[in-house]
Amino acid sequence: MHTIVAEDVTKTFREGRETVAVLKGATLHLEAGEVVALEGPSGSGKTTFLSILGCLLGATAGSVEIAGERVDGAKPAKLQDVRRRHIGFVFQQFNLFPALTALENVEYALNLKGVDGKAAESQALELMRRVGLADRAKFLPRDLSGGQKQRVAIARALVASPSVILADEPTASLDASVAGEILDLFSELAREERRSLLIVTHDPKVRRVADRAVRIEDGRIAA
Amino acid sequence: MVDLGLKTLLHDKIRFLITVSGVAFAVTLVLVQAGLFVGLLDNSTITIEKLGADLWVTSKNSPNLDFVHQFPESNLYRARSVKGVALADNLILSFMQVSLPTGAEETTVVYAMEDFAAWKMPWNVTAGDVRDLKRGPFVMLDESAVKRFGKFAVGDYREVNGVRLKIVGTSRGAKSFTTTPLSFMDFKRAQELQPQLLSEKTSYILVKVEPGADISAVKRELEARLPYNDVYTGKAWAERSRGYWIVNTGIGFNAFLTVFLGCLVGVVVVAQTLYTSTMEHLKEFGTVKAIGGSNWDIYKMLGQQASIAAVVGFVLGYVPAQLLKPVIAKADLKLIIAPELTATVFVGTFVLCLLSALVSFRKVAGIDPALVFRT
Repeated sequence: MHTIVAEDVTKTFREGRETVAVLKGATLHLEAGEVVALEGPSGSGKTTFLSILGCLLGATAGSVEIAGERVDGAKPAKLQDVRRRHIGFVFQQFNLFPALTALENVEYALNLKGVDGKAAESQALELMRRVGLADRAKFLPRDLSGGQKQRVAIARALVASPSVILADEPTASLDASVAGEILDLFSELAREERRSLLIVTHDPKVRRVADRAVRIEDGRIAA
Repeated sequence: MVDLGLKTLLHDKIRFLITVSGVAFAVTLVLVQAGLFVGLLDNSTITIEKLGADLWVTSKNSPNLDFVHQFPESNLYRARSVKGVALADNLILSFMQVSLPTGAEETTVVYAMEDFAAWKMPWNVTAGDVRDLKRGPFVMLDESAVKRFGKFAVGDYREVNGVRLKIVGTSRGAKSFTTTPLSFMDFKRAQELQPQLLSEKTSYILVKVEPGADISAVKRELEARLPYNDVYTGKAWAERSRGYWIVNTGIGFNAFLTVFLGCLVGVVVVAQTLYTSTMEHLKEFGTVKAIGGSNWDIYKMLGQQASIAAVVGFVLGYVPAQLLKPVIAKADLKLIIAPELTATVFVGTFVLCLLSALVSFRKVAGIDPALVFRT
């Protein structure tokens, strides 16, 4: 079953009087439980494509389906709803909330998805345990290493069982050995729970854990 | 539920302190300025309220309590003959000169009546007996006169308009808008001290109506019988007196301007700190959106932060305003922070802080969602 179906997606931006086409007909399908590396040079449209698949941006043309729901042309409220129910994000700079503890960062994501109170706390704690950070649950992000922060971010992305996890350069801010550990953990958790994992990356190590790698060049998926 | 708004607000303690300090400063400024204004106005009409007359007969077109023309004292008999009048008495209010032991001269506002006791005036006698005023060349001074006249005690003498008068008593709390000290003496004594102005004249006729009598009807009858005078209810006369000071002296505009500036300071500080904070946390707000939050979730967060700043800032501003009361009292000024003023300033603080957050709302609404991917 496909969790992501993106067909012939284009995206243009206005820059002054000119219209710049960033995506020129990108097509990508992801199966449930599939781990895919999305590679490409800077400016090739990786992040724009990720933003569209993550329902953060609308496509100019083409069709996009996430977990069976059409989102191309959808209104912001619908996009937000799809993000809330079906998508988890992992960012290069972790994007943890500095005022919240590691556990609260995960719990807050659950709160936004409608899980509150003790249920949210116990689910968050379970995820912290699964990413190996139960003993750091009460630490603030500033007291965690880069690898630990990314584990918290992975736990946050996995809350409430999203169908799709989108990761933007998740290893770029980590040293090589930690990056390997994180990728192993990330791909294992995704496969175990049959989540589709799309990793935008420049890091060749990602290919080791991916089922396949696709390349985006000049706004199109090359292979 | 994890309270991201509260935790973010308290995470940066210095910023939080700056925000609430700004609000607190504005609250103190507004409370003190408005309280002083109310205090001044209260002084201007305190004798009207304490005398408790139902009706005041004044000279025609008198602008306020202190600035009056005299009129024939015999008008009193016409007033007393009106049906429904239970008690009517003349009251002289006049400025006189007091010679001080130092050789300097000061002004006093003299209140003179035949029977002070019937009107419970002065209302807070701290020494002596007001009935003694009729027994000789005597005067009672309000304690607030110490600041202008120097120390005095019962038994001392002071020269008023060139005549030595013995101080037979003191009062507390009797003040005028101009802060000129009040003194009390017998009606005839005042006329003797200022014969050109006051001989066979009075400044006011005070009227109390009989229980159950229609005040409006009595007022109409007094107006008919005293066509060269004006008649006001106590409340209307107090309002007219206060209105004079507010409109004609610029004090009202001055108070309004300070209150406005206080509000402006509060709004600018809160808006600026919230906006700066929003700009610094823009990526976090973007993340909230990315992980499933809506603009509304972020608006609630900003609204909560503004509300907390308003409540904490209000409390921190209210306490010093209250603590300033005795300090201000030493300067012979009155700071009145009535529950109505407190409630108004609290609601105002709350609303203005929320309005300040609107600037940030606009920024949040326009967040580029792809911001979360930027390094």
